[in-house]
Amino acid sequence: MRRVIMMTGAGALLLSLQAMAATSTPAGDDAAVMARGAYLATASDCTACHTAPGGKPMAGGLAIASPVGDIIASNITPSTSDGIGDYSEQDFARALRKGVRADGANLYPAMPYTAYAHLSDDDIHALYVYFMKGVTPVNEPTGTTNLPFPMNLRFSMKFWNLLFLKDGVITPDPQHSETWNRGRYLVEGPAHCSTCHTPRGILMQEKGDQWLAGAQVGPWYAPNITPDVTSGIGSWSRQDLVTYLKTGRIDRAQAAGSMAEAIEHSFQHLTDDDLKAMATYLGTLPAIRTGDDGSSAEEDNRFERGSPGSDLSFRGTSYAKGLKGDSEGAQLYAAHCASCHNYDGQGTADGYYPSLYHNAALGGDTASNLLAAILYGVDRETQNGHFFMPPFGDQPNAVTSLDNEQIAALANYLLERYGNPDVSVSSQDVQSIRDGGPASNILMLARVGMAAGGIVLVVVLIAVILHRRRRR
Amino acid sequence: MSLSVNNAFSARGVSRRRVLRNTLALAGSFCLASPHLAWAAPEIDGALNERFMRLSGLLVNHQLDEEVGRKMAIHAARHFKQLETLIDELLATAEGRKARRVEAFFDDVPEGPARELAYWIIAAWYSGSSDSSPEATLFTYERALTYQTTLDMTPIPSFGLSAPNGWQIASAPLDALPDF
Amino acid sequence: MSHPSSAEVVIVGTGVVGAVMAEQLLDAGISVLMLEAGPRVSRGEVVETFRNLPLGIKGNASSSYPPRPWAPHPMPRTGNPDEDYLQLSGPDEYAQTYIRYAGGSTWHWAGTCWRLTPEDMRLNSLYGVGRDWVFDYDTLDPYYNMAEYALGICGPSDPDLQWPRRARSRPYPMPHLPFSPGEEKFTRVVSEALGYTNLPVAQARNSGTPYDGRPACCANNNCVPVCPIGAKYDAATALARLESKGAVILSNAVVHRIETGENNRIQAVHYLDPQKTSHRVTGKHFVIACNGIETPKLLLMSADERNPTGIANRSDQVGRNMMDHPQIGLTLTLEEPYWLGRGPVVNSGIMETSQGDFRSEHAGAYFRMNNFARNRYVTFDALRTGKVGQALDEEIRRRTACTVNLVAAHEILPDANNRLTLSDRKDWLGLPKPHIHYDVGDYTRRSARDYSMPIARRIASAMGAVEVKEPKGFAQSKHLMGGTIMGNDPSDSVVDSWCRSHDHDNLFLPGGGAMPSTACGNSTLTMVALAFRAAEALVNQARGASA
Repeated sequence: MRRVIMMTGAGALLLSLQAMAATSTPAGDDAAVMARGAYLATASDCTACHTAPGGKPMAGGLAIASPVGDIIASNITPSTSDGIGDYSEQDFARALRKGVRADGANLYPAMPYTAYAHLSDDDIHALYVYFMKGVTPVNEPTGTTNLPFPMNLRFSMKFWNLLFLKDGVITPDPQHSETWNRGRYLVEGPAHCSTCHTPRGILMQEKGDQWLAGAQVGPWYAPNITPDVTSGIGSWSRQDLVTYLKTGRIDRAQAAGSMAEAIEHSFQHLTDDDLKAMATYLGTLPAIRTGDDGSSAEEDNRFERGSPGSDLSFRGTSYAKGLKGDSEGAQLYAAHCASCHNYDGQGTADGYYPSLYHNAALGGDTASNLLAAILYGVDRETQNGHFFMPPFGDQPNAVTSLDNEQIAALANYLLERYGNPDVSVSSQDVQSIRDGGPASNILMLARVGMAAGGIVLVVVLIAVILHRRRRR
Repeated sequence: MSLSVNNAFSARGVSRRRVLRNTLALAGSFCLASPHLAWAAPEIDGALNERFMRLSGLLVNHQLDEEVGRKMAIHAARHFKQLETLIDELLATAEGRKARRVEAFFDDVPEGPARELAYWIIAAWYSGSSDSSPEATLFTYERALTYQTTLDMTPIPSFGLSAPNGWQIASAPLDALPDF
Repeated sequence: MSHPSSAEVVIVGTGVVGAVMAEQLLDAGISVLMLEAGPRVSRGEVVETFRNLPLGIKGNASSSYPPRPWAPHPMPRTGNPDEDYLQLSGPDEYAQTYIRYAGGSTWHWAGTCWRLTPEDMRLNSLYGVGRDWVFDYDTLDPYYNMAEYALGICGPSDPDLQWPRRARSRPYPMPHLPFSPGEEKFTRVVSEALGYTNLPVAQARNSGTPYDGRPACCANNNCVPVCPIGAKYDAATALARLESKGAVILSNAVVHRIETGENNRIQAVHYLDPQKTSHRVTGKHFVIACNGIETPKLLLMSADERNPTGIANRSDQVGRNMMDHPQIGLTLTLEEPYWLGRGPVVNSGIMETSQGDFRSEHAGAYFRMNNFARNRYVTFDALRTGKVGQALDEEIRRRTACTVNLVAAHEILPDANNRLTLSDRKDWLGLPKPHIHYDVGDYTRRSARDYSMPIARRIASAMGAVEVKEPKGFAQSKHLMGGTIMGNDPSDSVVDSWCRSHDHDNLFLPGGGAMPSTACGNSTLTMVALAFRAAEALVNQARGASA
């Protein structure tokens, strides 16, 4: 499956873990700077987008699905013919912070430069040194990005940037501890958590008032990670979050999709201190209550819903009979899921196969992650082991392919018994996740706007003015 | 493949044997043998079901599933004549001893239809089946108690036991029965 | 519905051999149509059929695969020849089990993947018995490697634990699986008391890692009758992938006639659908891979004017030399718990006892302790004791922990009198049922009497058996071999060294039927290696023909 992200999703750089603390390294000590840059780049997950599966490191080529079409990740090796070998450090900094290529063309915000704008000068320098000297040049071109009109007009990004690109390196807040400040730098800057976890507005910009409150990312839902006890991760301890980032799982939540990749490529390699710093900072953010049920009790959150048990009324008849009537979902569960997740949804005793009750994928306000896990499986390899759930979509190697109606019946049974019984899905919902997630209407909006006689730039200009006014 | 899986016990051979001493022979003699009953809706009188479960709880001192018990009760009602009388007889014996566990009253159950019913109920809960024949009715697989006696060591076949290659543990002692 | 009627290569059978052949052909750009007699079902359906079986029949692998009327396969025998599919005669019963479902009988194999040894392929030269293979082990070795990577075989990396005991040309793709507590103990006991090495079984099961998009084994202990998660390779796991590569797979299509034409080349096959309508399918090349009983049956059924004794049967060897691994399974009751049932159902075995100069006198044997969780075998016996309450719990627990099934699997020699013919009795479609006359033979009987059972008793005693149940006679291993035997001489063999019919140069008959010797280890890996060889020949032939 292609990696799927929001328009500005997926990332190149993540962060600069020890980097900040290590700024005492003598500037002339190239080896140390390069090591720091390498650590930064590894930790930053540049590879997530810029290394295609089975491809050469940082040589690009991966097609990143966005709501408006595939964006081809560029070659960022120091090749002078096909990569960034001719970039000066200023060019490099401008690309990371402003989303502008050396030739002056705008990058699409699939490159999360709005987050990298926060990178410190020292970190930019370390990364530059690493990319120029530590990465093997690959003299191979990638494919080109061909988005549909009007998204093929790269200059339109200038207006987008005017609206949504904020300036500046984060300055430490003396009111808070060094750990907190370090965490803030990582979360807002290199780790670009908000790229996925913050919902987008009509022009695909991150909504400031919903920062980290959860967003759809292709077929997956990046959940609310604010400290709200009901909607967010306020029920987690700091150690829970560190464990999750290190291993991809705690009892109640397991990483899949692009979060599994972020953990695989990046978070698991960070120092415990940096993970603790991120957890510390996230724990102090404003809690945002989301979802339609404002009256939820504190313990009624997506990690606590459901209980063990099963409907086995069809046992002793036949699969065909079990599929009929009310027991369809339960029968599908028994036949296709229970062999790993067990007959009462309890998983295996060692927790390798998680229980389905008290599980974030089923207890939340959206069934996206449940449907995506069924359709795409889970594949997460960390120092903690290789966690693999086979996909039940239409992959050639799928052990079993389930159709939309079956998955809807199955998911509704699971939500009712083990998850959030207020959520239900239709076969159309399953098809939407099968297609890679709900489509964006930005393309339609832009075209409709033009057909109406204006062009998207006008819309954007008006938006700029409104936006500016509101900020005053 | 290839496996001679069942040398100890040929299912077909056993079906001809008598299960639980004479249970099946006796059960057969009580069998109503009315073919049309096979089409009857799976219903059972609530009070009878309640007494069947109460008796089950006295005969089998473990957690028992209501849905599974209901299937057994329906089957028993079809195959044991005077089921209600026998249940009452067994309940009376148990209650006469103020028994809470099967050991406290089972020796007092006289040989005969009541004792055969008691054995049948016990066998049904442990095997999940109405008898040992290939044609038996299955009441439950997942909740058959035989698997619970060894669940610390062996899986219920077809259900996963552990993480990949994570099943190596030391032998458990025989006398450490799981709580179920 | 429209019926596909032609392809460059037509493959009859969708089991492991047909599936492996198909993938090689498709990867070479050759179009493939596969015809399957039985239905195509989901894994979940089979799993649920198993769970719905009463406890008393759960040990019977076929019961999870009820046959369709048009594609009957052997079920637990009733003794009534009108009801039973296989018609049997002779001193021993060739009462095999296989299924006619898309994906074939690997659905319910254990996944054991022993290779032959160099000696196993030279019985006649070395011991003066049986037949030699027409090529040597080194010729087969690269195809074994292909088979092991295609199926995803896990096996030991320690050379002392590998079989055969010679340097491997390529490591196993995955490490071997861990032992259950009982297997650990067994390994210790047979080593200390008898000096034997209990080897980790090389098996088609994902060990500790996903492979080919299939998950790793998580010890469901249900390889037979079905791996519920696809951690074990079975050919059903390959079918969707074959289709994604362009294969057309037609199920419920019972091929009943092979049609010859000019130069005695095969030009079509005919199949019946469930409405008993016949359809003709043409192709340039044909592969018959329906297993060791259905393949010879189909060849004999297709007799025509050019081939009055059946297709590919000028030698009169089609259906002869029917072989298996006759086995004897002992049930032991032990003093100490062994606790079988953690991990796959077969996970270790003693192979060294299959080799030796004694093979001039009698068969060798392979010993294994099955690793099935024992509850299903002991529950009714425990209930029959009349115990109740805690005493009953303890009785079931003790019997589950302290009983084991110890199996000796023997080799057998090819014998032209062990023969499959067409019965007068007909199946639902009116096609003849197979009749097999079978005698295990003195070579194998002597082994049981003088060699394997004495060893088995010593093993039992070393394990601390307080009770040993020995069955009378042999059971079947369901490893169908010999019916389309391989050789260089067209007058006494059916296929050449590429599994190509001597009589029809565009007809391939790969699989167990071609094997001239059985050795003691399970036959599937060798069948798949032969399929890779046959595919190589067929690809070359198809390219040559089209060039």
